[in-house]
Amino acid sequence: MNPAFPHRQTAHCESGVIANLLTYHGLPLSEAMAFGIGGGLFFGYLPFIRINGLPLTTFRTTPGGIFNRVTKRLGIGVTSSTFKDQSRAMAELDLLLRMGIPVGMQTGVYWLPYFPPALRFHFNAHNLIAYGKEGDNYLISDPVIGEPVVCAAADLVRARFAQGALAPKGKMYCITAVPKNIDLAPAIREGIREVCRVMVSVPFPLIGTWGIRYLANQVERWPARLGEKRAILYLGNLIRMQEEIGTGGAGFRFIFAAFLQESAAVLGNSNFLEMSQRMTGIGDVWREFALAGARHCKGRAEQSGDFTDLARILRRCAELENGFFRELSSLVRKP
Amino acid sequence: MEDNLEQELIEMLIETCRVAGPIPTDLSLDAPLIGPDSPFGLDSLDAVEVVVAVQRTFNVRIESTESSRQVLQSLRTLADYIRRNRV
Repeated sequence: MNPAFPHRQTAHCESGVIANLLTYHGLPLSEAMAFGIGGGLFFGYLPFIRINGLPLTTFRTTPGGIFNRVTKRLGIGVTSSTFKDQSRAMAELDLLLRMGIPVGMQTGVYWLPYFPPALRFHFNAHNLIAYGKEGDNYLISDPVIGEPVVCAAADLVRARFAQGALAPKGKMYCITAVPKNIDLAPAIREGIREVCRVMVSVPFPLIGTWGIRYLANQVERWPARLGEKRAILYLGNLIRMQEEIGTGGAGFRFIFAAFLQESAAVLGNSNFLEMSQRMTGIGDVWREFALAGARHCKGRAEQSGDFTDLARILRRCAELENGFFRELSSLVRKP
Repeated sequence: MEDNLEQELIEMLIETCRVAGPIPTDLSLDAPLIGPDSPFGLDSLDAVEVVVAVQRTFNVRIESTESSRQVLQSLRTLADYIRRNRV
C-alpha cells in the first residue's frame, strides 16, 4: 500500500524535498527553515564555468549541500547511494517503496514528462520524491509542481541516468532515523554562521559580497567587451538565474528572510525579526536590479537602465549585504 | 467576480509589458500567462516586470514560498492570489 505523503509545493527543489521528507517523518519543517539551516544562501560569479555558453552566476550553495548540512546539523539518519546499473537502481527504489519508505532522488529535469515542454531544460540536479508505485507508474512528489504526479518507469530511468554536467548516476536517498527531541536553535545558529562566513569572510574575489562587486565591474564592461547583443544575452541569463525557477525571488534572499523570521521565534530574539525585514529590503534592491535589467533586455529602459546603472545597483546590493552579514554574524554569536 | 480585477490585470499587463499584438477577444482566464502559449506573448523576463507591477499597483508581494511560478500560471491564479493577499 502506498503511504499518504504530505506534498507541499515549494520554491526550491532541494530544500523542498528535505522539508517534505522530514515532515513525513514527523518533524514538520518549512522550506525556509530547511534552506537556512542548510546554509543555502550564497553568491558566486564563476565565469570559468559555462552553462549553455554563458557564465555561471549562482545565488545558492552547491547541489546536495543543503541536504547534507540539514541532516547533519539535526542529527537525522540518512542513506544515500548511486548506481552504475540502471536495473539495480530501479530495483532498490522499488524495494524501499514496498517497505513504505519515501525516496528522494536526483534527476534530470529534461526527462520528466510531467514538466510542461516549455519548462524542460538540461539541469541534472533536480530533486524529487517517489512515495509509491502503481503498476508501472511511480507516484511522485515533485516540490516545484502544485500537486503529486505520476511518472512512468521508463521516463524515471532516463531522468535518474541523465548524462552531462552533474549527472545524477541514479542517486537516491532516504531518511532512516529522526531523533525524538530536536533543538532547532543550534542548527539555526550554525546555518547563519556559515552563510555569514561565505558572504563576507572568505577572501576570494568571486564569491560573497566580493563576488557581487566583481560582477558589478564585469557588468559595466560587458557592452564594450562583448558588444551590445551579447551583453544583453549575458544580462538576460543573469536575471533568469536570479529570479527564475526555484529561487523564490531575488536570488533566494526572500526565502532567507522568511528563515530569519521563523528563527526569531525559535531563538526568542526579536533582533532576528528586524534582520528578516532588512533582508527583505535587500531582496527588493536585487529585484530592482532584475527589473532594470529585464527592461534593458526588452528595450523598455527609459532614463535609467544602462549597464553603468545596473552595475551601480549591484554595488549597492554588495554594500548592503556586507553590512547586513557582518551585523548578523555578531548577532548570532551572542548567547 | 464583483470586482473588475481580471480586466485591471489585463490592462496592467498590456501597459507594463508593452504588449503589441492583438489580445484574443475570447481570452481564457486559464490560459498560461508566461511562456510560448501566453496570449500576451510574455516570457520569463516579463515575469519580473509583472511581479513588481503587482507589488506596486496592488501592494501585494509575490515571493518566497508563494512560488511566483504558481501565482503566474494564469490570469485566474494571479487574480485569486491578489484577492487573497491584498489588505
